[in-house]
Amino acid sequence: MKAIITFLCCFNIFSLFSQTIISGKILNSKKQPIEGVNVFLEGTYDGASTITDGTFSFTTEEIGEQTLKASFMSYQTYELKGDVTTFKNLTIILKEEIFELTGVTLSAGTFKAGDNSKISVLKPLDILTTASAVGDVFGAFQTLPGTTTVAEDGRLFVRGGDAEETQVFIDGLRVFSPYSSRPNNTPTRGRYSANLFKGTTFSTGGYSAEFGQALSSVFLLNTIDKPSQEETNISIMTLGAGIGNTQLWGNNSLSVNMSYINLKPYESLISDRYNWKKQYESFSGEGVYRKQFKNGLLKLYTAIDASNFDVYVDDINYEYQVQNKIKNTNLYTNLFYKGVLQNDWVIETGGSFSYTKNDIVYAVENIDQDELDFHAKLKLKRSFNSNIKLSVGLEYFSENFGEDYQNENSTIFTSKVENNLPSVFAESDIFFSNKLALNVGVRSSYTSVNKDWFTSPRISFAYKTGENDQFSLAYGTFYQSPKTGYLKYNNNLKSEKASHYLLNYQYIVNGKTFRAEAFYKKYVDLVKYNTQSPEYNSIYTNSGNGYASGFDVFWRDNKSVDNLEYWVSYSFLNTKRNYKNYAEKVTPNFTAKHNFSLVGKYWVDALKSQFGFTYSYTSGRPYDNPNTTDFMAEKTKAYHDVSFNCSYLLTQQKILYFSLSNPFGIKNINGYQYANQPDQSGFYNRKAIKPAADFSFFIGFFWTISDDKKSNQLDNL
Amino acid sequence: MKKIILTVLLLVVYSITFSQSNYEKGMQKALNFWKEGKVTEASNTFERIANIENDNWLPNYYVAYVNIIAAFQDKNLETLTLKLDKAEKYLEKAQKITPNNVELLVLKALHHTVWVSFDGATYGRKYSGEISQIYQQAKEMDPTNPRVIYSDAEWKIGSAKYFGKDITPYCKGLAHALELFTTFKNETPFYPNWGKNRAEELYNNCK
Repeated sequence: MKAIITFLCCFNIFSLFSQTIISGKILNSKKQPIEGVNVFLEGTYDGASTITDGTFSFTTEEIGEQTLKASFMSYQTYELKGDVTTFKNLTIILKEEIFELTGVTLSAGTFKAGDNSKISVLKPLDILTTASAVGDVFGAFQTLPGTTTVAEDGRLFVRGGDAEETQVFIDGLRVFSPYSSRPNNTPTRGRYSANLFKGTTFSTGGYSAEFGQALSSVFLLNTIDKPSQEETNISIMTLGAGIGNTQLWGNNSLSVNMSYINLKPYESLISDRYNWKKQYESFSGEGVYRKQFKNGLLKLYTAIDASNFDVYVDDINYEYQVQNKIKNTNLYTNLFYKGVLQNDWVIETGGSFSYTKNDIVYAVENIDQDELDFHAKLKLKRSFNSNIKLSVGLEYFSENFGEDYQNENSTIFTSKVENNLPSVFAESDIFFSNKLALNVGVRSSYTSVNKDWFTSPRISFAYKTGENDQFSLAYGTFYQSPKTGYLKYNNNLKSEKASHYLLNYQYIVNGKTFRAEAFYKKYVDLVKYNTQSPEYNSIYTNSGNGYASGFDVFWRDNKSVDNLEYWVSYSFLNTKRNYKNYAEKVTPNFTAKHNFSLVGKYWVDALKSQFGFTYSYTSGRPYDNPNTTDFMAEKTKAYHDVSFNCSYLLTQQKILYFSLSNPFGIKNINGYQYANQPDQSGFYNRKAIKPAADFSFFIGFFWTISDDKKSNQLDNL
Repeated sequence: MKKIILTVLLLVVYSITFSQSNYEKGMQKALNFWKEGKVTEASNTFERIANIENDNWLPNYYVAYVNIIAAFQDKNLETLTLKLDKAEKYLEKAQKITPNNVELLVLKALHHTVWVSFDGATYGRKYSGEISQIYQQAKEMDPTNPRVIYSDAEWKIGSAKYFGKDITPYCKGLAHALELFTTFKNETPFYPNWGKNRAEELYNNCK
């Protein structure tokens, strides 16, 4: 027994004698010491943290071959194999890991809204609290640079591009009719409610090879992956009412929203310039079902909406008010799956299907349209290490449009267009360091209608010039099939083409963002026709062309004044194009040289309220006066809009929301409609295109009921 | 023969106690660093232990815990993100070892709370609902855990105060948590035992 104890003592003493001291110094690539690095022998408790001067020292009883590791967040872990006795006075240099938060970002052309506050220019709540937007996703983005306010339209017009040049995607899948139907010269809104989306990316040019069929811009919406809790939402508004519910069970969740909008009570309070026979009415329902698998996530989004109105409006070509009646039905469904495969490949796949039916009566014309579209996509992504990402994919669009047009003589013209567009794309993000990144991509597509193959390269490059600022450059070519309105009469038309060149500078420091971007965009192969409006016997060619150049400035500050957030956008646009039936290359009527927005939000703690303010300015837009020989040579006066809003938290779960648009009654004129025929003296009469009403207001009450009864309406503010 | 067996047995016992004491020594050392306010050293030491003790959730728990608590004081987005990302990584590892552990749920809720308190406008919408949901789930799983009851009460007091509402109902929650702190027992060495002082402090502010 004694012997054993002696043996154990000896063993202890022996182990004391066998202690080895491991020491060294840890530096970054600039030879500066790093403090707090965890240095240890793998598989043992032995280790230490580096101190201020980057040095470390610890003892070990291990002997022989060992692995020394040095790990620190935002650096790549260092490994050294060798005999412990050689681990002395080491000098170790740690390499930086590519870190999204502080590293360079490929930012040219892109604006993001979401919860990553570093790269987002808008927060999720901004969409709901921007005074001029009144809860419309597209409305909120119209306060960003690069857009032109076209007040009588409401859609996104980006950098001299027509509204049709912007495409909308939900979870990477195309939305074929993102805007709701409204009377002519009345601003439209997005069809889908902002609540189901967690993040939005708005690209004003130079976007990824993953997206095609958009000459100017893409707008990407992503649905929420996992709702945080079960809840019921009730909203009662001056325009209607809505109800929503979210259920969670196991790995599944389901959110549904339903809303009913009827403008009748509102219109009876505020009279407008229109003579309504039946005020705008819509019923819409949306649902998202999500299922989490072990290595993947499935989302099924479905939306149905039906709207109708019947209104009599002034039209210069008629002595009486003419009827404008629309019945619109839209079904949209989108199935998306994202999962991790073996070998670290990530798969993203899905399909969207859209059916839209329009019954339109305008004056003596009667138009029935049916549109059935689908989009299927498969994308595979892989990160080879933190420096190189590759994605490849293929997709298929199918567009089927049918129309019956009946004119005043009750003659019916039937037209049909079917267009199938398969595409393949590949792109790679290469991060040479945290300072330098490159994205190269290529996309190749075929359009069945005109049997046209085309390939577009995309490239973008970013370089970080300082701790908080960076430059990016982007170039790409973009194709889009001609509008169905032309294809239905002529299927020999080629795709229209645009090339983008962007130079972007951004400076971001805690809560403040400055961005400036210069761009040049060249259009070729734009469709032209030789009649007053596109008709079956018009001559169509791809001989149109144009350009757009200019710069944007954006400044956002969330920090300088407590409880105040504001942003300012300015865009300068110089653009001309010769397309449609234009006689020469001119500045089109949906563009303005100067666009300015100021958005402010101020939280008053004592009142539990947030006050919002928006001011928008658009310099005069061109219009054509047929009484002069010059084409598109006159300009409207500048457009101004002031909007206010206030969100008042009654309790944690109840919000009262007010908004006022144009309370000072500024008389805006959005353009002029000229008579198709001159009067007896040879003069073309005109009518000013004015908003339906100069002033508008909105009141809403929003109530969230959740299981624990303490959830917070602040979330929805 | 007997002697040999005894020797071997003693050696085995010795090596077991030796390795146990290595774990204990390490954990103790890390906790001491933490008490001295040496966050990085504490976190690094817990990490080293966590990398060896693959079946033990506690060192992983502590890596997450020290980083989350330290992140509450951090006003720099970059370093805050690094701390919370590390916390999340170890929290996930711990949850794989013990999937139904209320102590880990409390940490997860606190992890989200750091984001909400750092920038409510950006992260409130994402996390507020989820935090309440996590506490609800934790209370259903173990209504006798004092940290669950106390953290839930603190979260609710925070939002009630913000809305100028009566906090008395949640003070009752704190009182209940304080009772539970005196009766709560878990024999596992190094089992989390924080929260009582903070709960007392909050409770005294209730009066």
